Amino acid sequence: MGPGFCVIGVERVGEDSFRSVRPVPPRENAWRNTFRYRRGSVVQFDPAPTSAARPHIEDQITRGLSSRGGCLTEVELVDFLRRAEISVGLDGLFECELHTDTSGGNAWVAPDSAARSICGCQYKNVRFRVFEDPGRVRLRAKLVLPSGETLNSLPVVDREWRNLLYAFMKEHSNPRVPSDFESFLNRSIRPQLMKAPHGFARIGLARAKPNEEKCWLMLDSLFPQPNVSWLSSP
Amino acid sequence: MSPPLNQEESQALEIARKCVASKLTSSVLPGDVDDLVETGVLDSMGWVDTLICIESATSIRDFGNPWPDDRTKSIGALADMIREVQKQAVQEKAGELRRAGTQGELEISIEGWGYTLGSLVVNAEQIERDMALPLHRIRDGAGIQSVRVAADDEDELALGQSAADIALEMAEVPVERIDFLVATSTTVLGFPSFAASLHSRLLLRETSGALDVGGACAGLIYSLAVAKSLLRTRPQGVALVVASEVHSRRLSAPQVPGEFRGLFGDGACAFILINAANTVQNGCVRLQEFVWGCSGTFASSLGIKISENGGLSIQFRGEQLAHAAVTELDRIIGALENLSAKPRSEVEYFALHQPNPRVVEILAEKAKIPLERIPLVSKACGNLGSVTCGASLCQALTSLRMSGDHSRTPLIFMAAVAPGLLWGGAFLN
Repeated sequence: MGPGFCVIGVERVGEDSFRSVRPVPPRENAWRNTFRYRRGSVVQFDPAPTSAARPHIEDQITRGLSSRGGCLTEVELVDFLRRAEISVGLDGLFECELHTDTSGGNAWVAPDSAARSICGCQYKNVRFRVFEDPGRVRLRAKLVLPSGETLNSLPVVDREWRNLLYAFMKEHSNPRVPSDFESFLNRSIRPQLMKAPHGFARIGLARAKPNEEKCWLMLDSLFPQPNVSWLSSP
Repeated sequence: MSPPLNQEESQALEIARKCVASKLTSSVLPGDVDDLVETGVLDSMGWVDTLICIESATSIRDFGNPWPDDRTKSIGALADMIREVQKQAVQEKAGELRRAGTQGELEISIEGWGYTLGSLVVNAEQIERDMALPLHRIRDGAGIQSVRVAADDEDELALGQSAADIALEMAEVPVERIDFLVATSTTVLGFPSFAASLHSRLLLRETSGALDVGGACAGLIYSLAVAKSLLRTRPQGVALVVASEVHSRRLSAPQVPGEFRGLFGDGACAFILINAANTVQNGCVRLQEFVWGCSGTFASSLGIKISENGGLSIQFRGEQLAHAAVTELDRIIGALENLSAKPRSEVEYFALHQPNPRVVEILAEKAKIPLERIPLVSKACGNLGSVTCGASLCQALTSLRMSGDHSRTPLIFMAAVAPGLLWGGAFLN
């Protein structure tokens, strides 16, 4: 990861199939705060020669992005994502061995072994945990996949979910914010996620840190997307 | 030179070192007093992972969250906190056991409950048509108006999850607090077992136990008894008991007789049990004593076997089974009268297994109990197997809560019979 936005979209590769593509600016892995588009935007990119390295094979250096007009609704977007890379279990996520022997923490893969760095999945259950760290609050999620396998302690890097956290922190300035937010997510928001017909998650791989041959899993997108208006719901 | 460490200090330090080491990219472990974040050894993600690692290794819930501002983020500080929390837990447990010892046996209360039914409603006429049964066999013969059937996207896990969510919400218990899951399902075959699968589905703590209990239609009562026993070993613990059945798929084989298959519906129920001393809600019902047994005399009235080709072979003697059920349920009620030292006339609700509504009517007449004191599940839902008496209990508990009268202690009898003829009962007040 790093500062800026990691942006990923899907492009058509067959009549009813899509693949993920990650347009990246030249010489960087993320878009700075000037990124003008939002989730679901239909954009065209101007590709430049790219030699993407495993597992981030979706990287595509891009000279520029331009709007093709329009923006997909959340339901439409999930419909497209379901026709891209998808897995029902842990093995299929990155088509490699997933290392989960991390004492209840997150899982990782060896960079060279993973066939890709993003994959979608349905989820059968989701729960959140919020950790307080001086200066920042960390949001993690647990997911159950259709296979019955679980992913524990996925760092939530989805911008909208993080914005919800920041909005909550802004509204509530007491020392119990992390536990209050965790309780709010699990008791008020989780039931809405479980009921939604377009419940879907996209799991991504972080870039390996220098001297660490590990790509840690993260929760790139979680649908339904949150809405700040949820904070005012009773 | 620092003094030698005692065993607790060494163990705590070892756990802290191991967990920090597992997050390091280099093999060089920092000193015990070095601040792991300020020195850049761990970033904040790594620090959170370290806390989770310790939580997992020690079963200390929410370890170090939030981390006190006045403490460094060092291995030594982590070890100190492990020892402090463990010491506090030991003191609390000792106090709890002392209190339990002076007050007699631990009392277990039902803090939350809920049930879910298959979302499709199939009426009696449809069942009779689908199974080529004589007209009115299900509606008039068995007294069933409709059965609830699981939709394509519903199975034992989905229904069990839904019922558990309702019970957890009612009890206001976060899922991380569950120490034991005791689960029963007759219709789930194979491994991972129902309890293990449900444990994962509910995202329970990895250090909470999961146990399957058999007993078919009596499985819920046996599960409640097991959960109560487990809680005696952990007075601060919380147990989740779940029963879930999807008969519509298990009994869908063509060789299963329609007059048997047509009686069953799909559903799940769940209960949260805790030490009554820890309860925060008024008017909670306590799970008291149990009776159980097995009457081989009636063993041949119902038999279900998985045949060599994987199909089901069913031996079903309807009239004999109905007679056996009425006889045994009446006997259980008698045993519960003795155990509770209360006559059945003082019982507010009878949460019973209901093979079908007609059997319940006959039982009510024979046992001289008013029909309105039996929350009737099977009339609109069918026989839900182990879930039947659980759904009936949920209805009784909800009625009591709705009445808002916490001044008196309501008495509830539970009773169920299963192939064998296995039987079980319990009283609650």
